[in-house]
Amino acid sequence: MFIGVSGYNHESAAALVDKNGVLIDYYREESLSRIKGDKSFPRRAIKKLLNSNNLKIKDIERVAFYERPLSAFLHTVKEASLNMPRSLPLLAHQFRNFNRSSVSCYLDFAKEFKGLETKLIYSDHHLSHSLTALSYSNSKKDICSVVIDGFGDRSTASISLVVDPTEINELWNCPYPISLGLFYSSITDYLGFSINEGEYKVMGLSAFGDSNSESAKLVSNLMKWDPNSNKLLSDMSYFDYHISTSNSYSRKLEDLLGPARNPFFPLVAGDKDFQRYADIARGAQDLIVNLLIKIFTHAHNLTSSKRFLFSGGVSLNSASIDRLAQLPFVDEIIIPPSPGDSGCAIGAAFFCYIKSNLQNSLNISKPSLFPSVIEKRNDKFLTEKIINDHFDVLADNEDDAFSKAAELIGSGEIIGTIVSSSETGPRALGNRSLICDGRNKDTVKKLNTVIKNRSSFRPTAPAMKYEIAKKYYQLRPELYECYKSMSATCKCIDDNISLEFPTTHVDGTARIQIVEKNSCLEKLLSKLEKFNIEILANSSLNVSGDPTCFDLIDGLMVCARTSLVYLLTDFGLLAKKNSIY
Amino acid sequence: MFRVNSMENMSSQLPVFHETAHAELASALEMLAACKNTDNPKQAFGYFMHAKDEYSHAKCFFKMLSQRAKKVSTEKAREFRFTPPSLISKGYVSNKGFLIDTMKLKDFIAFVYTNELLAKSSFEKILNLVGPGTDEGNKISSIMMDELRHHGMAKKYFLNSYPALQPWQLAIYRCRETLQNKGRKIYDANLKFLDRVLTPLYKGLAFIAGIMARRLNLIEFKREGKNLMDISSYSIL
Repeated sequence: MFIGVSGYNHESAAALVDKNGVLIDYYREESLSRIKGDKSFPRRAIKKLLNSNNLKIKDIERVAFYERPLSAFLHTVKEASLNMPRSLPLLAHQFRNFNRSSVSCYLDFAKEFKGLETKLIYSDHHLSHSLTALSYSNSKKDICSVVIDGFGDRSTASISLVVDPTEINELWNCPYPISLGLFYSSITDYLGFSINEGEYKVMGLSAFGDSNSESAKLVSNLMKWDPNSNKLLSDMSYFDYHISTSNSYSRKLEDLLGPARNPFFPLVAGDKDFQRYADIARGAQDLIVNLLIKIFTHAHNLTSSKRFLFSGGVSLNSASIDRLAQLPFVDEIIIPPSPGDSGCAIGAAFFCYIKSNLQNSLNISKPSLFPSVIEKRNDKFLTEKIINDHFDVLADNEDDAFSKAAELIGSGEIIGTIVSSSETGPRALGNRSLICDGRNKDTVKKLNTVIKNRSSFRPTAPAMKYEIAKKYYQLRPELYECYKSMSATCKCIDDNISLEFPTTHVDGTARIQIVEKNSCLEKLLSKLEKFNIEILANSSLNVSGDPTCFDLIDGLMVCARTSLVYLLTDFGLLAKKNSIY
Repeated sequence: MFRVNSMENMSSQLPVFHETAHAELASALEMLAACKNTDNPKQAFGYFMHAKDEYSHAKCFFKMLSQRAKKVSTEKAREFRFTPPSLISKGYVSNKGFLIDTMKLKDFIAFVYTNELLAKSSFEKILNLVGPGTDEGNKISSIMMDELRHHGMAKKYFLNSYPALQPWQLAIYRCRETLQNKGRKIYDANLKFLDRVLTPLYKGLAFIAGIMARRLNLIEFKREGKNLMDISSYSIL
């Protein structure tokens, strides 16, 4: 058995791969701690991996950490040292928190899981990303890996050629501090949203912006691709993320674009300054798309590959993927369902597996989109009184529960789901979702605003079967795998009724999900055929600011805290009693 | 109805609401963790309802924070933006795990018993800040009632589960926790004071370390043209 671990810098996670190269379990720390974006040492996730799979420390052959900790530390310190004295607070902070950085992972293993520290090995950060993405590809050979994120352990972007899982050659990289990921995060911060959480909001907001506006043009010129040196260029004087602990952008950026947004003011279309912020978001989005095109073109020139793995935080920018798929040399783009740092735990676990099987034949199995092991029995026993007192069980066998849920969706209701295992990545794909009729405007609006309390400018994703998606959207065969995990948006077919769907964004795109065979949503959609419902609106089951629900208790808590009434579970369909909450 | 506040007043109130919201949210997470940790459905129910109340309190304080932060400068407001991992970095949730994971059940219940009462008394100060009788004041009064109810439930549970213990023993728990809380405050204040005093020293040391760091040659750690799978997996560089 092999464990892969990520943490300390962004979301932490742990993954378990067996000796046959199969991902058998995976947990994000935030799912267990209920702290969104939890980046602490993933003690809960590792403990759960061991307990759920009845493993002892001696059963684990190797553990891999997803990056080289000292390299990550030294690169940030070196860059800050070049900008003294402005960077002194950051330098002091880095040195004072040395023992809390990823450098301490060895000690944390020794303290929390004695014995595992002796089995610890380290993978390169971008290699972990590449291996995660590779595991989701059907073919594991002769494919180009593009990794773009905020910062890894050396670089912020890289291109590698995967000859086979034992030979992954890095051909190009972008050194810190020039970073597409940190640029987007700085704009996110400027627009008043939280870094590592608000990037989706910027992406949603950008659809309201105008690429020809002055603000958009100013932003889209903040980074460039130099065709002679094949390097990304950026005027770092607009940014402070490499020299400050608290500011990601500098005063100069505010001088250029105007004052930053107060994060506590609601951002509503039509309000004062909304258009300026939308134009700035548009400029950031245009810059990302343009530079991704340059990087992918360069990747193709270097490797001659037409198949691409794309991972790192920037690959979560689903609005840019459709444009990449239109490049003439692209045959396929694979984006793992969890392309950020939490997903790196999967790549790190496969790194152990590969390293331990160099002499044997390798067989990396494509992981499921729902890999976590769930202890159902315990859930049912524990929630007995909560359910008896505060919920009615509308149907207690699986088939009846799905039929009744379909009936309720048909009558305009919203259903929460806590079914089977949870999803790998940040996007709910049906097992931990809030779902309703995707063509019912009032219900989708209620889901988005009343239950989720989301910004009005963020659309909800539609989920459907492949044959239905073809009727409404301009699907690209290059992105078929991406559609399964909501990793790419697509345009509605011109003059098609889909342009009127409430799940369609203001720019005529939608972040569609093509449901997998035998999944919860496929089953529900089959039941919904008799109600003429072929599209579901699908959003993650959580309260704004919380991680997506993990177990039944989390789902019941969402019902208790919001106006959500119905919850589809492994034990039946529950309806909240009115009188209690 | 809100009490009229000047901008300076607003600014000075922001940390109060920011910290209280953190504390309430952390309490909700502690209770949720306890709910998942127990093997008794009745206890799970109690913890679940307690967690729900704490979530609701946190929401109220975040709303009060938001009302005030809208009225201060953007620069100031940004300092009080909530990011969930700060629950750990600020120490509201221990990085060693939740209390239920690190304490004996008896101590955990006693902790809840005493801290609900302490929380109520700190809310009295916030009530004076917003003004009793205002909309916000009414909400805080209602939260105080909740805290008192939680305190009573913890006491009842404690005495039912540990009949050999007497109420005066709970009072000892309360005294101990009150002292520890005061100790934590003194420690925190001293830490902040020391931080101010020592910051120039830290910066001086960082400057010297920075000069050395400038000389670091990281070029040899470049990977371009290398097979990443061939690089030693035991190296942290």
